[in-house]
Amino acid sequence: MNSMNSIVDDLKGKFDIINVVFPDDMQMAVDVDKNDVHTVLSYLKTIGYKQLSLMSGVDWIKENEFEVVFIVFNWDNGIHILLRTRLDRENPVFRTITGIYPGAQYYERDIHEFFGIEFEGNPMSYKDLFLELWDEMPPMRKDFDPLAYSQDKFPERKYESQFIPEVGVIK
Amino acid sequence: MFNIVEDTQKTREDTRKTWEKIADYFRANSIWMKWYCTGCGAMEMPPTMTSRFDMEQLGMGPMATPRQADVLLITGYLSAKTLRRVIYSYEQMQDPKYVIGFGSCTLNGGIYFDSYATMTRLDHYIPVDLYIAGCMPRPEAIMNAFDTLIAMIKKGEAKGWKHYQDNYEWYNANQIHSLKEVRVKDEFHE
Ligand code: SF4
Repeated sequence: MNSMNSIVDDLKGKFDIINVVFPDDMQMAVDVDKNDVHTVLSYLKTIGYKQLSLMSGVDWIKENEFEVVFIVFNWDNGIHILLRTRLDRENPVFRTITGIYPGAQYYERDIHEFFGIEFEGNPMSYKDLFLELWDEMPPMRKDFDPLAYSQDKFPERKYESQFIPEVGVIK
Repeated sequence: MFNIVEDTQKTREDTRKTWEKIADYFRANSIWMKWYCTGCGAMEMPPTMTSRFDMEQLGMGPMATPRQADVLLITGYLSAKTLRRVIYSYEQMQDPKYVIGFGSCTLNGGIYFDSYATMTRLDHYIPVDLYIAGCMPRPEAIMNAFDTLIAMIKKGEAKGWKHYQDNYEWYNANQIHSLKEVRVKDEFHE
C-alpha cells in the first residue's frame, strides 16, 4: 500500500488527477482529463509500467459520455494502474496512443468497431477487425438492440408446438 | 421407338441406383470427419476421438482438411465471420458430403439466440443431415449420432449435398441475406 500511496502522491504532484480509487490491493484506478492521458501514459511507461494489459471502452449513455479505460502493469512491483478518461458521446474522438504503446493498435481497432470511437492519427483503426461488413450502429453502444438485429439478420427456427405444456401438468 | 427410349432411361436410372447403393455401402464404412471447432462443444471431441469412446470402432477417422473429408461437424455457435469460412469449407468438400450440426447453438441459436454476431440456424445456409441436441452433447450422444449417420448413409437418406445442389438459389439467397457477401475479404487475403 505504501508504494501505491507514493505513486499516487507522485502523480498528483505532476498532473491534474480528478480522482483515485483502490479497487483491490495492488490495483488503483485513476481518472484524468482526456487531454492529459498521453502525458500520464508516457510518464507511467518511463517509470516501469511497460505493459498495456488492456484498453477498452464503456458507454455511459445516461451521462452522454464514453469512457476509455487503459490498464497498465509494472512487472517490477506487480501493480496495475487503471487509467480512465471520459469523451463526449456525440463526438467521440481521441488521439491514438499507438505512439506510446504500439500494441494498442488492435485495441483501437476493436474500440472503433464496437463503440464507434475514432482514433486520430491511426489510419489502421478504421479497418474491420471482428465484424466484417457491419452496416449498423456499433453494437456495444447501449442503444443498439441486439435481439431486433438478430431477428432481422438471422431468421429463427419456427416451432409448430411448444413441448413445455407437460411442465404445467407436473406443477 | 418412344418405348425404347423410355426403357433405356429407366434402365439407366436403375443402374445408377444400384451403383449408388453399392457406393453408399462403402461410403458408410469409411468416413473421414473434419470437425470445425467453432464453439465450446469442441471440448467433447477429444474423448470421442481418443481411447475413451474411440470413434474408430465405427470406422471413422479424423481428417485435417475439408477437401479430403466426408463429414463436416460444426461444433457449436457460428459468428457471421466464421459462417463465411464454414461455407467456404463446405464448398471445398467433394461430393458426397455430410454435415452434422452439434449442439443447440447450431439448432436454434441456443443461449446466443439474441446475439448480433451469431447465426441461429445452420440449415439455412448449408444442408444439415443430422443435428445433435444438447448444450453441450456428451460423447455418448455424439457416438449415437455417428451411428445414426452411418445407418442413414447406408439407406441412402443422407442426401443433404444433393439438396444443396438442387436448391442452391435458396441457400445462396439466405447466405446473402445474413452475410451480404460470402466471399472472404480480410487482411490475410489482401
Ligand atoms: S450449444 Fe452450448 S456448448 Fe454448444 S456452442 Fe452453444 S453454448 Fe456452447
